Amino acid sequence: MNIIETKNLTKTYGDFTAVSHLNLHIRKGSVYGFLGPNGAGKSTTMKMFLGLTRPTEGSFRIDGKAYPSDRVSILKEVGSFIEAPAFYGNLTGEENLEIIRQILGLPKSSVRDALELVGLSQFRKRLAKKYSLGMKQRLGLAGALIGRPPILILDEPTNGLDPVGIHEIRTLIKSLPQQFDCTVLVSSHLLSEVELMADDIGILNHGRLLFEGTMEDLRAGAHEAGFPTDNLEDTFLAMIDEDNRKRGGKR
Amino acid sequence: MNFFSLVGVELQKIHRSKILLILLVPVIMMWIPGMINSDFAFDTRGIPITPENNFFIQGFMGMVWFMIPASLVICTVLLTQTERAHGGILKMLSLPVSTAKLCLAKFTVLILLASAQMFMTICAYYISAAAASRIQDYDFLLDPLYVCGNALGIYLSAIPMAAVFWMIACLVRTPVFSVGIGLASIVPSVLVINTKLWPAYPMSYPFYLLMVQYGKAAEGMYDTQIDWLPWLPAAVVITVIALVISCIRFGAAEKK
Amino acid sequence: MTLRLEMTKLKRTGYLPAFLGGAVLASAFPLINMLVRPETFTSMPGDPFDILMDANWQMMAMLNILVSICGACMMYHAEYADNGAQKMDVLPIHPGSIFLGKSVIAGLILAMMTAMEILVLTGCALHWFTAYEPDAAELLENLLKNILFQWTAALPTVVLMLAIASACKNMWVSLGVGVILVFTIFIFPQDNPVLSLFPFSSPYQTLATAAENDRVLLFLGVCAAEVPAFIVLELIYQKIRRCTE
Repeated sequence: MNIIETKNLTKTYGDFTAVSHLNLHIRKGSVYGFLGPNGAGKSTTMKMFLGLTRPTEGSFRIDGKAYPSDRVSILKEVGSFIEAPAFYGNLTGEENLEIIRQILGLPKSSVRDALELVGLSQFRKRLAKKYSLGMKQRLGLAGALIGRPPILILDEPTNGLDPVGIHEIRTLIKSLPQQFDCTVLVSSHLLSEVELMADDIGILNHGRLLFEGTMEDLRAGAHEAGFPTDNLEDTFLAMIDEDNRKRGGKR
Repeated sequence: MNFFSLVGVELQKIHRSKILLILLVPVIMMWIPGMINSDFAFDTRGIPITPENNFFIQGFMGMVWFMIPASLVICTVLLTQTERAHGGILKMLSLPVSTAKLCLAKFTVLILLASAQMFMTICAYYISAAAASRIQDYDFLLDPLYVCGNALGIYLSAIPMAAVFWMIACLVRTPVFSVGIGLASIVPSVLVINTKLWPAYPMSYPFYLLMVQYGKAAEGMYDTQIDWLPWLPAAVVITVIALVISCIRFGAAEKK
Repeated sequence: MTLRLEMTKLKRTGYLPAFLGGAVLASAFPLINMLVRPETFTSMPGDPFDILMDANWQMMAMLNILVSICGACMMYHAEYADNGAQKMDVLPIHPGSIFLGKSVIAGLILAMMTAMEILVLTGCALHWFTAYEPDAAELLENLLKNILFQWTAALPTVVLMLAIASACKNMWVSLGVGVILVFTIFIFPQDNPVLSLFPFSSPYQTLATAAENDRVLLFLGVCAAEVPAFIVLELIYQKIRRCTE
């Protein structure tokens, strides 16, 4: 069963098409890797899911609900982390989460729970603006994970983390569906990263969906199309390159 | 690096900050109402003043009381914020330049900006006075020597105030607070110039100068002579103290 | 709940101290005036409280507005500086509730500030004007009436300023707009009957002057109508912004 589905989802800014006729199918309880180079339209798509920007055309359904009529009830089910971490610099990490907790009406313990999940417990009393880049990123993640929502939308969650942090967060994301029984939509521009976390992947280039399916499908399809398959990063690069060439070299 | 090229660098830093536009807005805001309400210049309310002098003084009144001080406050914050916002000051402090020199170069930029605004004010005065003359069919234009002399005096008298605002911006790290303190300090100057304490309050200097002009133009309104004696030494002492403190404190928090 | 959250967000921004400082500074005006030149005022004919209001309120009101502008900028700076507002956008709350919460806080703090200033003015009148001996009931009524009137007169300005601050992600823009509005409107003649009803101008009106011109109810009515009008405008603006972003 698909928990998120889009139908010809399109977003244009003036004459620039950020997302073009996207049809995504995200299975309930899976980790869906959303892959594409910078500026492919991943963040725009995720922002549309969260009601931060309005689709120009097409529609989407999250858990059977549509935007904008069910905005609040969609947001109640979704934990999100978009681009740069968003927080209040004058408050401590704990206070930031406390605000989110109160708005979501969660029990008091959920703040501690979220801090522990991302490994921020010992820094909870520090002001958020004094956090290092990696800690800000973790705080953003904690704000998404708090209350263990059934759907998680994470935009490049490992950006700015050190190798140990990247590994920790990847392991955490991979374990989320079994742990909390949730669905994760996670974006990245590294196939090697998505490969380690995701069950299904969707590859986006210049706003268009090049591929959607499981890892195995990707390997099989790539083999058929004559792309290199021994290293998936090469497969991805070759696919993007091929697509760019088909588009007549215009970027 | 000599001082002048350092000032050049500082001017380069505020490139594209639209600061001149920000300085122009208050000038326009001050003179447009003056032009539209130019018939008020004839309504002297029993004060023995000619309409053209009335027009000049009323228009400059708003400038000296709050627009010039407020613009200075905004400029100081802009100058400190361009350094602090993206850690630019850390880079500057790691270069072989003395902090005091850097601080004084920034202050120079501040008073250069003030002079640009003064020039705009003179232009705006002549444009609006010419327009008002057409509207009212009465010659509002005053002798350029008189207008420019006054503007220059007002400009020079604003320098101690600029030094104090610069000191506030260097001492108070939270920008909203340094702006708030600066703006709040402007309001009482209208009270202070009516007391004997005015030489101790730099925010009232330009206002005082204009009031003396008012006194000259309209008999019995205010003093007609400038009290140079307590004023000049007080102004110099205040300026020097403010600049010394700002040079000492400039970048102090970043160096910790 | 929204109110408590909005209070939390103001922690460590210096919001409360700023208002306290503003109120103290504004209250210092009548005190200094009376300390430096008491005869100037005590020799005037008329109601002592009104004399003091006439002499000081213009500047006190201007300080109140300036502090409120800084306060509005602080409130929204906290939202925009580190993208906190974006997080709020993806949480299940009505977007208008944040603005309402902030308005209520700003309104309450303005009430406290006004009350403190009027109290000091009354204190000055009682202390320096030896002939001024109103009975307790009259005194209390006067106090309440003045606080209520001055608060209502200033409220639209505060709400409008919050709306301006919410529209500008860059705090300096909203601060600049506010400061320019204050000073520009201040130069226009204050006795203009229409203009004095507008925000940034109405706070300068005193109860005594309004009563003299028989405009007390008009003032209260117009100001009371302006507040919900600005709130509605803000909500419409938020809707439009949401659609265009």
